[in-house]
Amino acid sequence: MRTVLIISMLFFFSACVQKATPQTEEEKKFSYYPAGQLSPEKSGDGRNGDNYIYAPGIRFPIEAAPAYINSQVYGIGGLHGARGSLCDEKNYQYPWSDNYCEKRRWGMPLCPGGKGHQGVDIRTATCEKNKYYTVAVENGLITYIGKYTVKLRGDSGRTYRYLHMNSSSILVRSGQKVKRGERLGLVSNNMGSTKTSIHLHFDMKQTIKIDGKSKTVYVPPYTSLIDAYKRLLHGNP
Amino acid sequence: MRLLFITLFLCSSLSAESGLLDIQWPKPNAKHQKPSTPYPAVLTNSIKEVKLPVYLPNSYAYNKNMIVVADNNFYTVSFTLQGADIMISGDKTYQESVSPTNPEFKAIMKASPPVEFMQSEGIMSAEFNRHGVNYSMAVECEKPKTDKRCTETTFIKELYNQLIMVGGRP
Repeated sequence: MRTVLIISMLFFFSACVQKATPQTEEEKKFSYYPAGQLSPEKSGDGRNGDNYIYAPGIRFPIEAAPAYINSQVYGIGGLHGARGSLCDEKNYQYPWSDNYCEKRRWGMPLCPGGKGHQGVDIRTATCEKNKYYTVAVENGLITYIGKYTVKLRGDSGRTYRYLHMNSSSILVRSGQKVKRGERLGLVSNNMGSTKTSIHLHFDMKQTIKIDGKSKTVYVPPYTSLIDAYKRLLHGNP
Repeated sequence: MRLLFITLFLCSSLSAESGLLDIQWPKPNAKHQKPSTPYPAVLTNSIKEVKLPVYLPNSYAYNKNMIVVADNNFYTVSFTLQGADIMISGDKTYQESVSPTNPEFKAIMKASPPVEFMQSEGIMSAEFNRHGVNYSMAVECEKPKTDKRCTETTFIKELYNQLIMVGGRP
């Protein structure tokens, strides 16, 4: 009995003094604006104060860090952005800024003005297409592959869209079961015959029930992605 | 300030409770049960276990080249049509529940039309709820800026108006 007590105390003591894994260089560099704070201001109104994590525990959709969430349209070289190249190094820097609800023409019930961007745009480590893999954010089924869309229905029932991958790089097919972290394809600028900037558009759709009724909506991915990215940087994606 | 209040309220009243929606099954309709010609095996075999009404546009319900992905709680059917990919899906699951007193969602539900057509990211889509199930349709074009199926709502409205129930069981 005494031996058991001593072993238990030693175990407890060792757990207490165990050092936390030190931060990586990328973790130290990583910074982000709060959810709902869009940048620049003219790019629209986000869901300020909504820090709810809609998809807890998902894997970051790009295989490796660094990656940068910021505006394609209002970033340097974008349609409404400052003059310059889309590949300007300022587009490939922290802090991240939310672009869910960024100004768009289409209806989005969760955006303050009832319209906006239904997901977030993510740039890869460098301004090179066909180099960086996207991965499944959770276990699930690939339900649809379109001209520039891959749709994953996670085991949670949530659906995730990955847009603008290179079609010829897609490694999965409709109906295929995928594991969290499994490669899907390469980030590119594919938008059919119309090209867009090199980025991944990522969005999440889920059904919300209220008083016996329900509605399927695109929910804010930013907080879930911050959480996922922190885990990725810490080595436990 | 109002938005801040609403979003803080939303955060406190959202619940990550998931489950299955209640379906109000439509009354059996002989027209639904007896197609003019048999549906292709790719469809009938894949939706045997689907426990929600399966809707497809009538003109394309006999397309042997459709891709069907389904389980008990959802289905997705897709096919290619002259430079466009067409997709329709239905799902009876929910991932979140909100308090009936939540002001934001009360307003959203009140403002929701029976069907919404919209174009985003160059993709034309429709969203609707039928029998308690949420459905979506999408048309994705090789030429999203010039193909009228992706720039105007006419084509997707035609698809929507042609929907027939081709299967599914309680």
